[in-house]
Amino acid sequence: MRAYYRFPFLFLLPSLVGFLAFNLGPILTSLLLSFVAYDGLRPLGLATFRESWVGLENYRRLLEDPVFHKAFVNTFFYVAVAVPLEIGLALLLALGLNRPWPGVRFIRTLYLLPTVTSVVAVGLLWRWILNPTVGPVNLFLRWVGERMEGVYGLLGLTPPSWVAWLAREGPGWLSDPAWAMWGVILASVWAGVGLRMLIFLAGLQNINREYLEAASLDGANNLQRFFYVVLPLLSPTVFLNTLLAMIGGFQVFGLVYTMTGGGPLDSTNVLMLYLYRKAFGVFPFEMGYASAIAWVLFLILFALTYLQWTLRKRWVVEEA
Amino acid sequence: MRLLGKVWDSLVYLVLLAGGVSMLVPFFWMVSTSLKAPGAVFDLPVEVWPKELHWENYQRVLTSVPFSRWYLNSLLVALGLTLLNLTSGAMGGYAFARFRFRGQGALFLLFLATLMIPVHVLIIPLFILMRNLGWVDTYYALILPGLFDAFAIFLMRQHFLHLPRELEEAAIMDGATPWQVYWRVALPLAAPALATLGTFTFLAGWNSFLWPLIVTNSLEMRPLTVGLAVFQGQFSTEWTVLMAGLTLGTIPPILVFLLAQRYFIQGLTLGSLKG
Repeated sequence: MRAYYRFPFLFLLPSLVGFLAFNLGPILTSLLLSFVAYDGLRPLGLATFRESWVGLENYRRLLEDPVFHKAFVNTFFYVAVAVPLEIGLALLLALGLNRPWPGVRFIRTLYLLPTVTSVVAVGLLWRWILNPTVGPVNLFLRWVGERMEGVYGLLGLTPPSWVAWLAREGPGWLSDPAWAMWGVILASVWAGVGLRMLIFLAGLQNINREYLEAASLDGANNLQRFFYVVLPLLSPTVFLNTLLAMIGGFQVFGLVYTMTGGGPLDSTNVLMLYLYRKAFGVFPFEMGYASAIAWVLFLILFALTYLQWTLRKRWVVEEA
Repeated sequence: MRLLGKVWDSLVYLVLLAGGVSMLVPFFWMVSTSLKAPGAVFDLPVEVWPKELHWENYQRVLTSVPFSRWYLNSLLVALGLTLLNLTSGAMGGYAFARFRFRGQGALFLLFLATLMIPVHVLIIPLFILMRNLGWVDTYYALILPGLFDAFAIFLMRQHFLHLPRELEEAAIMDGATPWQVYWRVALPLAAPALATLGTFTFLAGWNSFLWPLIVTNSLEMRPLTVGLAVFQGQFSTEWTVLMAGLTLGTIPPILVFLLAQRYFIQGLTLGSLKG
Protein backbone atom coordinates (compact mmCIF):
# COMPACT_ATOMS: atom_id res chain seq x y z
CA MET A 1 0.00 0.00 0.00
CA ARG A 2 1.15 3.53 -0.61
CA ALA A 3 1.88 5.17 2.65
CA TYR A 4 0.50 8.64 3.29
CA TYR A 5 3.53 10.87 2.68
CA ARG A 6 2.79 13.59 5.18
CA PHE A 7 2.89 14.37 8.83
CA PRO A 8 -0.08 12.68 10.54
CA PHE A 9 -0.79 15.67 12.74
CA LEU A 10 -4.26 14.61 13.84
CA PHE A 11 -3.15 11.09 14.72
CA LEU A 12 -0.13 12.22 16.68
CA LEU A 13 -1.78 15.17 18.43
CA PRO A 14 -2.79 13.38 21.68
CA SER A 15 0.57 11.63 22.04
CA LEU A 16 2.56 14.76 21.27
CA VAL A 17 0.63 16.86 23.78
CA GLY A 18 1.04 14.16 26.41
CA PHE A 19 4.70 13.68 25.60
CA LEU A 20 5.58 17.37 25.83
CA ALA A 21 3.39 18.26 28.83
CA PHE A 22 3.63 15.13 30.95
CA ASN A 23 7.01 13.63 30.00
CA LEU A 24 9.61 15.85 28.37
CA GLY A 25 8.66 18.99 30.31
CA PRO A 26 8.67 17.27 33.72
CA ILE A 27 11.96 15.46 32.99
CA LEU A 28 13.76 18.72 32.24
CA THR A 29 12.10 20.47 35.18
CA SER A 30 13.08 17.63 37.48
CA LEU A 31 16.72 17.91 36.47
CA LEU A 32 16.69 21.68 37.12
CA LEU A 33 14.82 21.22 40.40
CA SER A 34 17.62 19.03 41.74
CA PHE A 35 19.86 22.15 41.71
CA VAL A 36 17.55 24.43 43.69
CA ALA A 37 16.25 24.65 47.24
CA TYR A 38 12.49 24.56 46.76
CA ASP A 39 9.83 24.05 49.45
CA GLY A 40 7.03 23.37 47.00
CA LEU A 41 4.89 26.19 48.37
CA ARG A 42 6.06 29.23 46.39
CA PRO A 43 4.94 29.35 42.77
CA LEU A 44 7.59 27.82 40.56
CA GLY A 45 8.92 30.13 37.86
CA LEU A 46 12.16 31.26 36.30
CA ALA A 47 12.67 33.61 39.25
CA THR A 48 12.59 30.64 41.62
CA PHE A 49 15.41 28.99 39.76
CA ARG A 50 17.46 32.21 39.75
CA GLU A 51 16.95 33.02 43.42
CA SER A 52 17.13 29.55 44.93
CA TRP A 53 19.88 28.05 42.80
CA VAL A 54 22.22 26.03 45.05
CA GLY A 55 24.24 24.19 42.44
CA LEU A 56 25.34 20.77 43.61
CA GLU A 57 24.47 21.46 47.25
CA ASN A 58 21.55 18.96 47.24
CA TYR A 59 23.81 16.21 45.94
CA ARG A 60 26.52 17.12 48.47
CA ARG A 61 23.97 16.92 51.30
CA LEU A 62 23.02 13.41 50.18
CA LEU A 63 26.58 12.30 50.88
CA GLU A 64 26.23 13.35 54.52
CA ASP A 65 22.62 12.36 55.17
CA PRO A 66 22.54 9.28 57.45
CA VAL A 67 18.88 8.49 56.63
CA PHE A 68 19.69 8.55 52.92
CA HIS A 69 22.59 6.18 53.54
CA LYS A 70 20.32 3.86 55.47
CA ALA A 71 17.69 3.95 52.71
CA PHE A 72 20.38 3.37 50.10
CA VAL A 73 21.77 0.29 51.89
CA ASN A 74 18.27 -1.05 52.61
CA THR A 75 17.24 -0.71 48.97
CA PHE A 76 20.33 -2.58 47.78
CA PHE A 77 19.77 -5.28 50.40
CA TYR A 78 16.15 -5.65 49.33
CA VAL A 79 17.12 -5.99 45.66
CA ALA A 80 20.05 -8.32 46.40
CA VAL A 81 17.81 -10.75 48.31
CA ALA A 82 14.39 -10.45 46.68
CA VAL A 83 15.47 -10.52 43.04
CA PRO A 84 17.59 -13.73 43.09
CA LEU A 85 14.91 -15.45 45.20
CA GLU A 86 12.16 -14.41 42.81
CA ILE A 87 14.12 -15.20 39.64
CA GLY A 88 15.35 -18.57 40.96
CA LEU A 89 11.92 -19.69 42.11
CA ALA A 90 10.29 -18.44 38.92
CA LEU A 91 12.77 -20.33 36.75
CA LEU A 92 12.14 -23.57 38.64
CA LEU A 93 8.37 -23.06 38.39
CA ALA A 94 8.55 -22.28 34.68
CA LEU A 95 10.63 -25.39 33.99
CA GLY A 96 8.15 -27.49 35.95
CA LEU A 97 5.06 -25.91 34.45
CA ASN A 98 6.33 -26.02 30.87
CA ARG A 99 5.25 -29.65 30.67
CA PRO A 100 1.86 -31.03 29.67
CA TRP A 101 0.70 -31.99 33.18
CA PRO A 102 -3.01 -32.46 33.78
CA GLY A 103 -4.47 -29.06 34.71
CA VAL A 104 -1.22 -27.21 34.06
CA ARG A 105 -2.99 -24.02 32.96
CA PHE A 106 -4.97 -24.00 36.19
CA ILE A 107 -1.80 -24.38 38.28
CA ARG A 108 -0.14 -21.53 36.38
CA THR A 109 -3.17 -19.36 37.13
CA LEU A 110 -2.77 -20.05 40.85
CA TYR A 111 0.73 -18.58 40.74
CA LEU A 112 -0.47 -15.60 38.68
CA LEU A 113 -3.32 -14.45 40.93
CA PRO A 114 -1.12 -12.44 43.36
CA THR A 115 0.44 -10.70 40.34
CA VAL A 116 -2.77 -8.87 39.46
CA THR A 117 -3.53 -7.91 43.06
CA SER A 118 -2.61 -4.31 43.93
CA VAL A 119 0.51 -3.69 46.02
CA VAL A 120 -1.66 -1.96 48.58
CA ALA A 121 -3.84 -5.04 49.02
CA VAL A 122 -0.72 -7.25 49.14
CA GLY A 123 0.92 -5.02 51.75
CA LEU A 124 -2.11 -4.68 54.02
CA LEU A 125 -2.91 -8.37 53.70
CA TRP A 126 0.64 -9.43 54.56
CA ARG A 127 0.70 -7.20 57.63
CA TRP A 128 -2.04 -9.47 58.87
CA ILE A 129 -0.51 -12.70 57.52
CA LEU A 130 2.74 -11.86 59.36
CA ASN A 131 1.05 -11.03 62.66
CA PRO A 132 3.40 -12.62 65.22
CA THR A 133 0.69 -14.19 67.39
CA VAL A 134 -2.25 -15.08 65.12
CA GLY A 135 -0.81 -14.88 61.58
CA PRO A 136 -0.68 -18.12 59.59
CA VAL A 137 3.07 -17.85 59.00
CA ASN A 138 3.92 -17.92 62.68
CA LEU A 139 1.16 -20.44 63.42
CA PHE A 140 2.91 -22.72 60.94
CA LEU A 141 6.39 -21.98 62.33
CA ARG A 142 5.16 -22.68 65.88
CA TRP A 143 3.63 -25.95 64.70
CA VAL A 144 6.98 -26.92 63.14
CA GLY A 145 8.80 -25.92 66.34
CA GLU A 146 6.51 -28.05 68.49
CA ARG A 147 7.00 -31.07 66.23
CA MET A 148 10.77 -30.59 66.48
CA GLU A 149 10.55 -30.37 70.25
CA GLY A 150 8.61 -33.61 70.17
CA VAL A 151 11.35 -35.31 68.16
CA TYR A 152 14.04 -34.07 70.55
CA GLY A 153 11.91 -35.32 73.44
CA LEU A 154 11.55 -38.78 71.90
CA LEU A 155 15.32 -38.97 71.53
CA GLY A 156 15.69 -37.90 75.15
CA LEU A 157 17.57 -34.70 74.20
CA THR A 158 17.02 -31.11 75.29
CA PRO A 159 16.00 -29.06 72.25
CA PRO A 160 18.32 -26.12 71.43
CA SER A 161 17.05 -22.69 72.41
CA TRP A 162 16.10 -21.68 68.88
CA VAL A 163 13.70 -24.62 68.61
CA ALA A 164 12.05 -23.55 71.86
CA TRP A 165 11.91 -20.00 70.51
CA LEU A 166 10.28 -21.23 67.31
CA ALA A 167 7.73 -23.28 69.23
CA ARG A 168 6.88 -20.47 71.71
CA GLU A 169 7.03 -17.23 69.75
CA GLY A 170 8.78 -17.18 66.34
CA PRO A 171 9.96 -14.06 64.47
CA GLY A 172 8.38 -10.73 65.36
CA TRP A 173 8.40 -9.85 61.64
CA LEU A 174 7.30 -6.28 60.97
CA SER A 175 7.68 -5.09 64.57
CA ASP A 176 11.28 -6.32 64.85
CA PRO A 177 14.02 -4.29 63.07
CA ALA A 178 16.00 -7.50 62.46
CA TRP A 179 13.08 -9.22 60.72
CA ALA A 180 11.02 -6.44 59.13
CA MET A 181 12.84 -6.37 55.79
CA TRP A 182 12.54 -10.14 55.52
CA GLY A 183 8.79 -9.77 55.97
CA VAL A 184 8.63 -7.26 53.12
CA ILE A 185 10.76 -9.55 50.94
CA LEU A 186 8.47 -12.51 51.66
CA ALA A 187 5.42 -10.53 50.56
CA SER A 188 7.15 -9.20 47.46
CA VAL A 189 8.26 -12.64 46.31
CA TRP A 190 4.71 -13.95 46.80
CA ALA A 191 3.35 -11.09 44.73
CA GLY A 192 6.00 -11.09 42.02
CA VAL A 193 7.02 -14.66 41.28
CA GLY A 194 4.08 -15.37 38.94
CA LEU A 195 4.95 -12.57 36.55
CA ARG A 196 8.59 -13.68 36.33
CA MET A 197 7.45 -17.27 35.78
CA LEU A 198 5.21 -16.18 32.92
CA ILE A 199 8.10 -14.41 31.18
CA PHE A 200 10.29 -17.51 31.57
CA LEU A 201 7.49 -19.69 30.18
CA ALA A 202 7.29 -17.48 27.10
CA GLY A 203 11.06 -17.79 26.67
CA LEU A 204 10.95 -21.58 27.07
CA GLN A 205 8.22 -21.89 24.49
CA ASN A 206 10.41 -20.04 21.99
CA ILE A 207 13.13 -22.69 22.24
CA ASN A 208 13.26 -24.87 19.17
CA ARG A 209 12.40 -28.45 20.14
CA GLU A 210 14.83 -29.83 17.59
CA TYR A 211 17.80 -28.76 19.68
CA LEU A 212 16.48 -30.76 22.61
CA GLU A 213 15.79 -33.79 20.47
CA ALA A 214 19.26 -33.58 18.92
CA ALA A 215 20.79 -33.45 22.40
CA SER A 216 18.79 -36.50 23.48
CA LEU A 217 19.93 -38.43 20.42
CA ASP A 218 23.49 -37.59 21.39
CA GLY A 219 22.78 -39.21 24.73
CA ALA A 220 22.41 -36.13 26.94
CA ASN A 221 20.46 -36.69 30.16
CA ASN A 222 17.94 -34.22 31.62
CA LEU A 223 20.51 -32.25 33.61
CA GLN A 224 22.89 -32.01 30.68
CA ARG A 225 20.07 -30.89 28.40
CA PHE A 226 19.18 -28.19 30.90
CA PHE A 227 22.70 -26.84 31.40
CA TYR A 228 24.01 -27.20 27.85
CA VAL A 229 20.90 -26.54 25.75
CA VAL A 230 18.01 -24.93 27.63
CA LEU A 231 19.91 -22.49 29.85
CA PRO A 232 22.12 -21.02 27.07
CA LEU A 233 19.11 -20.58 24.78
CA LEU A 234 17.11 -19.10 27.63
CA SER A 235 19.88 -16.69 28.63
CA PRO A 236 18.40 -13.62 26.86
CA THR A 237 15.19 -14.14 28.84
CA VAL A 238 17.11 -14.65 32.08
CA PHE A 239 18.93 -11.36 31.52
CA LEU A 240 15.83 -9.41 30.59
CA ASN A 241 13.80 -10.87 33.44
CA THR A 242 16.52 -10.12 36.00
CA LEU A 243 16.91 -6.58 34.69
CA LEU A 244 13.17 -5.92 34.89
CA ALA A 245 13.00 -7.38 38.40
CA MET A 246 15.92 -5.23 39.55
CA ILE A 247 14.49 -2.06 38.05
CA GLY A 248 11.20 -2.78 39.79
CA GLY A 249 12.99 -3.68 43.01
CA PHE A 250 14.92 -0.43 43.22
CA GLN A 251 11.62 1.44 42.98
CA VAL A 252 9.83 -0.53 45.70
CA PHE A 253 7.39 1.79 47.45
CA GLY A 254 3.79 0.64 47.94
CA LEU A 255 4.67 -2.52 49.82
CA VAL A 256 6.92 -0.72 52.29
CA TYR A 257 4.46 2.16 52.66
CA THR A 258 1.62 -0.17 53.62
CA MET A 259 3.53 -2.83 55.55
CA THR A 260 5.93 -0.87 57.75
CA GLY A 261 5.98 2.79 56.72
CA GLY A 262 9.76 2.41 56.65
CA GLY A 263 10.05 1.34 60.29
CA PRO A 264 10.83 0.08 62.80
CA LEU A 265 13.84 2.38 63.30
CA ASP A 266 14.20 2.98 59.55
CA SER A 267 15.02 -0.71 59.11
CA THR A 268 12.83 -0.87 55.98
CA ASN A 269 13.21 2.71 54.80
CA VAL A 270 13.96 2.64 51.05
CA LEU A 271 14.93 5.29 48.50
CA MET A 272 11.46 5.79 47.03
CA LEU A 273 9.88 6.13 50.45
CA TYR A 274 12.52 8.67 51.49
CA LEU A 275 11.98 10.59 48.25
CA TYR A 276 8.22 10.63 48.86
CA ARG A 277 8.63 11.79 52.46
CA LYS A 278 11.00 14.60 51.47
CA ALA A 279 8.82 15.86 48.62
CA PHE A 280 5.29 15.31 49.90
CA GLY A 281 5.21 13.63 53.29
CA VAL A 282 6.97 15.65 55.96
CA PHE A 283 6.79 19.41 56.32
CA PRO A 284 8.79 21.47 55.34
CA PHE A 285 8.84 19.87 51.91
CA GLU A 286 12.18 19.73 50.13
CA MET A 287 11.32 19.14 46.51
CA GLY A 288 14.78 20.12 45.25
CA TYR A 289 16.44 17.66 47.60
CA ALA A 290 13.90 14.96 46.69
CA SER A 291 14.63 15.56 42.99
CA ALA A 292 18.31 14.96 43.68
CA ILE A 293 17.34 11.60 45.24
CA ALA A 294 15.28 10.85 42.12
CA TRP A 295 18.27 11.46 39.85
CA VAL A 296 20.61 9.37 41.97
CA LEU A 297 18.09 6.54 41.71
CA PHE A 298 17.87 7.15 37.97
CA LEU A 299 21.65 6.92 37.66
CA ILE A 300 21.63 3.61 39.54
CA LEU A 301 19.00 2.20 37.17
CA PHE A 302 20.81 3.56 34.13
CA ALA A 303 24.16 2.10 35.21
CA LEU A 304 22.44 -1.21 35.88
CA THR A 305 20.86 -1.33 32.44
CA TYR A 306 24.14 -0.38 30.79
CA LEU A 307 26.05 -3.00 32.77
CA GLN A 308 23.54 -5.69 31.86
CA TRP A 309 23.77 -4.89 28.17
CA THR A 310 27.55 -5.02 28.26
CA LEU A 311 27.55 -8.33 30.08
CA ARG A 312 24.85 -9.62 27.79
CA LYS A 313 27.13 -9.36 24.78
CA ARG A 314 29.63 -11.64 26.51
CA TRP A 315 27.37 -14.25 28.04
CA VAL A 316 24.19 -14.48 26.10
CA VAL A 317 23.93 -17.07 23.38
CA GLU A 318 21.95 -15.65 20.48
CA GLU A 319 20.01 -18.17 18.50
CA ALA A 320 21.45 -18.37 15.00
CA MET B 1 14.95 -46.31 35.68
CA ARG B 2 11.51 -45.96 34.10
CA LEU B 3 9.82 -46.38 37.47
CA LEU B 4 12.20 -43.98 39.15
CA GLY B 5 11.42 -41.39 36.47
CA LYS B 6 7.70 -41.78 37.09
CA VAL B 7 8.09 -41.43 40.84
CA TRP B 8 10.23 -38.31 40.34
CA ASP B 9 7.66 -36.85 37.92
CA SER B 10 4.78 -37.41 40.33
CA LEU B 11 6.82 -35.82 43.08
CA VAL B 12 7.55 -32.73 40.95
CA TYR B 13 3.89 -32.49 40.03
CA LEU B 14 2.81 -32.70 43.66
CA VAL B 15 5.28 -30.00 44.70
CA LEU B 16 4.08 -27.68 41.92
CA LEU B 17 0.47 -28.28 42.87
CA ALA B 18 1.12 -27.81 46.60
CA GLY B 19 3.07 -24.62 45.86
CA GLY B 20 0.18 -23.31 43.77
CA VAL B 21 -2.34 -24.06 46.47
CA SER B 22 -0.15 -22.42 49.11
CA MET B 23 -0.13 -19.26 46.98
CA LEU B 24 -3.84 -19.11 47.77
CA VAL B 25 -3.38 -19.27 51.55
CA PRO B 26 -3.11 -15.47 51.99
CA PHE B 27 -6.30 -14.98 49.94
CA PHE B 28 -8.04 -17.67 51.97
CA TRP B 29 -6.90 -16.01 55.19
CA MET B 30 -8.21 -12.66 53.96
CA VAL B 31 -11.68 -14.04 53.27
CA SER B 32 -11.75 -16.12 56.42
CA THR B 33 -10.78 -13.13 58.61
CA SER B 34 -13.36 -10.95 56.89
CA LEU B 35 -16.07 -13.34 58.11
CA LYS B 36 -14.96 -13.60 61.74
CA ALA B 37 -16.46 -11.86 64.75
CA PRO B 38 -14.55 -8.58 65.21
CA GLY B 39 -13.52 -9.39 68.77
CA ALA B 40 -12.45 -12.96 68.07
CA VAL B 41 -9.50 -12.58 65.70
CA PHE B 42 -6.87 -12.55 68.45
CA ASP B 43 -8.27 -15.59 70.30
CA LEU B 44 -6.04 -18.64 70.55
CA PRO B 45 -6.27 -21.27 69.18
CA VAL B 46 -6.96 -19.49 65.90
CA GLU B 47 -10.05 -20.57 63.98
CA VAL B 48 -9.09 -21.44 60.42
CA TRP B 49 -12.64 -20.89 59.16
CA PRO B 50 -15.24 -19.22 61.40
CA LYS B 51 -18.12 -21.37 62.62
CA GLU B 52 -20.51 -18.44 62.37
CA LEU B 53 -20.15 -16.21 59.33
CA HIS B 54 -20.16 -12.51 60.25
CA TRP B 55 -21.29 -10.76 57.09
CA GLU B 56 -21.75 -7.56 59.05
CA ASN B 57 -18.05 -6.76 58.43
CA TYR B 58 -18.96 -6.15 54.80
CA GLN B 59 -21.91 -4.04 55.81
CA ARG B 60 -19.67 -1.97 58.08
CA VAL B 61 -16.96 -1.34 55.51
CA LEU B 62 -19.59 -0.20 53.02
CA THR B 63 -21.24 2.19 55.46
CA SER B 64 -18.66 3.42 57.96
CA VAL B 65 -16.03 4.78 55.55
CA PRO B 66 -16.59 6.35 52.11
CA PHE B 67 -15.70 2.95 50.74
CA SER B 68 -18.28 2.93 47.94
CA ARG B 69 -17.04 6.33 46.80
CA TRP B 70 -13.44 5.05 46.70
CA TYR B 71 -14.62 2.02 44.77
CA LEU B 72 -16.41 4.23 42.27
CA ASN B 73 -13.33 6.47 41.95
CA SER B 74 -11.12 3.47 41.21
CA LEU B 75 -13.56 2.26 38.59
CA LEU B 76 -13.82 5.69 36.96
CA VAL B 77 -10.05 6.23 36.98
CA ALA B 78 -9.27 2.76 35.62
CA LEU B 79 -11.90 3.08 32.87
CA GLY B 80 -10.90 6.66 32.05
CA LEU B 81 -7.24 5.73 31.79
CA THR B 82 -8.10 2.76 29.60
CA LEU B 83 -10.19 4.84 27.21
CA LEU B 84 -7.52 7.56 27.01
CA ASN B 85 -4.70 5.07 26.54
CA LEU B 86 -6.53 3.12 23.82
CA THR B 87 -7.43 6.30 21.96
CA SER B 88 -4.02 7.96 21.93
CA GLY B 89 -2.09 4.69 21.68
CA ALA B 90 -4.04 3.39 18.69
CA MET B 91 -3.90 6.76 16.91
CA GLY B 92 -0.18 7.12 17.54
CA GLY B 93 0.53 3.53 16.57
CA TYR B 94 -1.42 3.97 13.34
CA ALA B 95 0.53 7.14 12.53
CA PHE B 96 3.83 5.28 12.80
CA ALA B 97 2.61 2.18 10.97
CA ARG B 98 0.93 3.74 7.96
CA PHE B 99 2.38 7.23 7.42
CA ARG B 100 5.78 8.28 6.11
CA PHE B 101 7.06 11.62 7.31
CA ARG B 102 10.24 13.54 7.91
CA GLY B 103 11.82 12.70 11.27
CA GLN B 104 9.63 9.62 11.74
CA GLY B 105 12.44 7.37 12.98
CA ALA B 106 13.82 9.99 15.32
CA LEU B 107 10.41 10.72 16.85
CA PHE B 108 9.73 7.03 17.37
CA LEU B 109 13.09 6.58 19.10
CA LEU B 110 12.45 9.62 21.27
CA PHE B 111 9.09 8.17 22.30
CA LEU B 112 10.63 4.78 23.07
CA ALA B 113 13.38 6.44 25.11
CA THR B 114 10.74 7.58 27.62
CA LEU B 115 10.33 3.92 28.60
CA MET B 116 13.79 4.29 30.17
CA ILE B 117 12.65 7.14 32.42
CA PRO B 118 11.27 5.81 35.69
CA VAL B 119 8.11 7.49 37.00
CA HIS B 120 9.79 8.71 40.15
CA VAL B 121 11.76 11.26 38.11
CA LEU B 122 8.47 12.69 36.81
CA ILE B 123 6.23 12.85 39.85
CA ILE B 124 7.55 15.98 41.56
CA PRO B 125 7.34 18.32 38.53
CA LEU B 126 4.09 16.65 37.46
CA PHE B 127 2.62 17.40 40.86
CA ILE B 128 3.72 21.05 40.57
CA LEU B 129 2.16 21.18 37.11
CA MET B 130 -1.12 19.78 38.45
CA ARG B 131 -1.10 22.35 41.24
CA ASN B 132 -0.48 25.20 38.80
CA LEU B 133 -3.36 23.97 36.63
CA GLY B 134 -5.58 23.71 39.70
CA TRP B 135 -6.11 20.01 39.05
CA VAL B 136 -4.96 18.62 42.41
CA ASP B 137 -7.70 16.49 43.95
CA THR B 138 -9.65 16.17 40.68
CA TYR B 139 -10.21 13.37 38.18
CA TYR B 140 -8.16 15.37 35.65
CA ALA B 141 -4.99 14.84 37.69
CA LEU B 142 -5.78 11.15 38.16
CA ILE B 143 -6.43 10.42 34.48
CA LEU B 144 -4.97 12.95 32.04
CA PRO B 145 -1.22 12.35 32.70
CA GLY B 146 -1.84 8.91 31.13
CA LEU B 147 -2.35 10.63 27.75
CA PHE B 148 1.06 9.58 26.44
CA ASP B 149 2.23 6.00 26.78
CA ALA B 150 5.12 4.83 24.63
CA PHE B 151 4.32 1.17 25.30
CA ALA B 152 0.78 1.61 23.97
CA ILE B 153 2.05 3.29 20.79
CA PHE B 154 4.64 0.58 20.30
CA LEU B 155 2.16 -2.25 20.84
CA MET B 156 -0.44 -0.77 18.49
CA ARG B 157 2.17 0.03 15.82
CA GLN B 158 3.31 -3.61 15.83
CA HIS B 159 -0.26 -4.74 15.43
CA PHE B 160 -1.10 -2.36 12.57
CA LEU B 161 2.10 -3.33 10.75
CA HIS B 162 0.96 -6.94 10.76
CA LEU B 163 -2.54 -6.19 9.43
CA PRO B 164 -3.09 -6.95 5.75
CA ARG B 165 -3.30 -3.70 3.82
CA GLU B 166 -5.77 -4.71 1.10
CA LEU B 167 -8.88 -3.62 2.96
CA GLU B 168 -7.43 -0.20 3.70
CA GLU B 169 -6.30 0.15 0.09
CA ALA B 170 -9.80 -0.64 -1.13
CA ALA B 171 -11.20 2.05 1.16
CA ILE B 172 -8.67 4.59 -0.17
CA MET B 173 -9.70 3.72 -3.73
CA ASP B 174 -13.27 4.45 -2.74
CA GLY B 175 -12.14 7.91 -1.71
CA ALA B 176 -12.07 7.54 2.10
CA THR B 177 -10.00 10.07 4.06
CA PRO B 178 -7.15 8.77 6.28
CA TRP B 179 -9.33 9.23 9.35
CA GLN B 180 -12.20 7.26 7.81
CA VAL B 181 -9.82 4.47 6.81
CA TYR B 182 -8.49 4.37 10.34
CA TRP B 183 -11.82 4.59 12.13
CA ARG B 184 -13.94 2.34 9.91
CA VAL B 185 -11.40 -0.20 8.62
CA ALA B 186 -8.17 -0.44 10.60
CA LEU B 187 -9.41 0.10 14.15
CA PRO B 188 -12.09 -2.64 14.09
CA LEU B 189 -9.43 -5.06 12.86
CA ALA B 190 -7.24 -4.09 15.80
CA ALA B 191 -9.76 -5.35 18.37
CA PRO B 192 -7.48 -8.10 19.79
CA ALA B 193 -4.62 -5.66 20.35
CA LEU B 194 -7.02 -3.17 21.91
CA ALA B 195 -8.26 -5.90 24.25
CA THR B 196 -4.69 -6.70 25.31
CA LEU B 197 -3.81 -3.07 25.89
CA GLY B 198 -7.13 -2.41 27.60
CA THR B 199 -6.70 -5.29 30.04
CA PHE B 200 -3.29 -4.01 30.98
CA THR B 201 -4.25 -0.41 31.41
CA PHE B 202 -7.33 -1.29 33.44
CA LEU B 203 -5.33 -3.45 35.84
CA ALA B 204 -2.56 -0.87 36.13
CA GLY B 205 -5.13 1.87 36.71
CA TRP B 206 -7.10 -0.04 39.32
CA ASN B 207 -3.90 -0.95 41.18
CA SER B 208 -2.06 2.38 40.85
CA PHE B 209 -0.98 3.88 44.13
CA LEU B 210 1.91 6.37 44.17
CA TRP B 211 0.47 8.96 41.78
CA PRO B 212 -3.07 9.00 43.27
CA LEU B 213 -1.51 9.19 46.73
CA ILE B 214 0.27 12.39 45.71
CA VAL B 215 -2.48 14.20 43.79
CA THR B 216 -5.51 13.51 45.97
CA ASN B 217 -6.04 14.78 49.48
CA SER B 218 -9.76 14.80 50.23
CA LEU B 219 -11.57 11.76 51.54
CA GLU B 220 -13.92 11.81 48.54
CA MET B 221 -11.30 11.84 45.79
CA ARG B 222 -9.18 8.93 46.96
CA PRO B 223 -9.21 5.79 44.83
CA LEU B 224 -9.58 2.51 46.73
CA THR B 225 -5.85 1.73 47.00
CA VAL B 226 -5.05 5.11 48.55
CA GLY B 227 -8.18 5.13 50.69
CA LEU B 228 -7.35 1.77 52.24
CA ALA B 229 -3.65 2.54 52.69
CA VAL B 230 -4.03 6.01 54.18
CA PHE B 231 -6.94 5.18 56.40
CA GLN B 232 -5.67 1.82 57.57
CA GLY B 233 -4.97 3.45 60.92
CA GLN B 234 -8.71 3.74 61.31
CA PHE B 235 -9.03 -0.03 60.89
CA SER B 236 -5.87 -1.15 62.59
CA THR B 237 -7.86 -2.52 65.49
CA GLU B 238 -10.58 -3.77 63.16
CA TRP B 239 -8.87 -6.37 61.01
CA THR B 240 -12.14 -8.04 60.09
CA VAL B 241 -13.48 -4.86 58.50
CA LEU B 242 -10.19 -4.14 56.71
CA MET B 243 -10.12 -7.69 55.31
CA ALA B 244 -13.71 -7.28 54.09
CA GLY B 245 -12.59 -4.11 52.28
CA LEU B 246 -9.57 -5.85 50.78
CA THR B 247 -11.72 -8.77 49.63
CA LEU B 248 -14.10 -6.42 47.83
CA GLY B 249 -11.18 -4.50 46.35
CA THR B 250 -9.44 -7.61 45.06
CA ILE B 251 -12.48 -8.92 43.19
CA PRO B 252 -12.40 -6.57 40.13
CA PRO B 253 -8.75 -7.09 39.12
CA ILE B 254 -8.97 -10.86 39.61
CA LEU B 255 -12.23 -10.99 37.66
CA VAL B 256 -10.76 -8.93 34.82
CA PHE B 257 -7.67 -11.13 34.83
CA LEU B 258 -9.64 -14.38 34.70
CA LEU B 259 -11.88 -13.11 31.92
CA ALA B 260 -9.07 -11.62 29.85
CA GLN B 261 -6.25 -13.98 30.81
CA ARG B 262 -5.44 -14.70 27.17
CA TYR B 263 -4.94 -11.01 26.34
CA PHE B 264 -3.03 -10.39 29.54
CA ILE B 265 -0.51 -13.13 28.80
CA GLN B 266 -0.21 -12.08 25.16
CA GLY B 267 0.56 -8.53 26.17
CA LEU B 268 3.10 -9.56 28.76
CA THR B 269 5.05 -11.79 26.44
CA LEU B 270 4.91 -9.18 23.69
CA GLY B 271 6.02 -6.46 26.05
CA SER B 272 8.80 -8.44 27.62
CA LEU B 273 10.31 -10.21 24.65
CA LYS B 274 10.09 -7.48 22.09
CA GLY B 275 9.90 -4.35 24.23
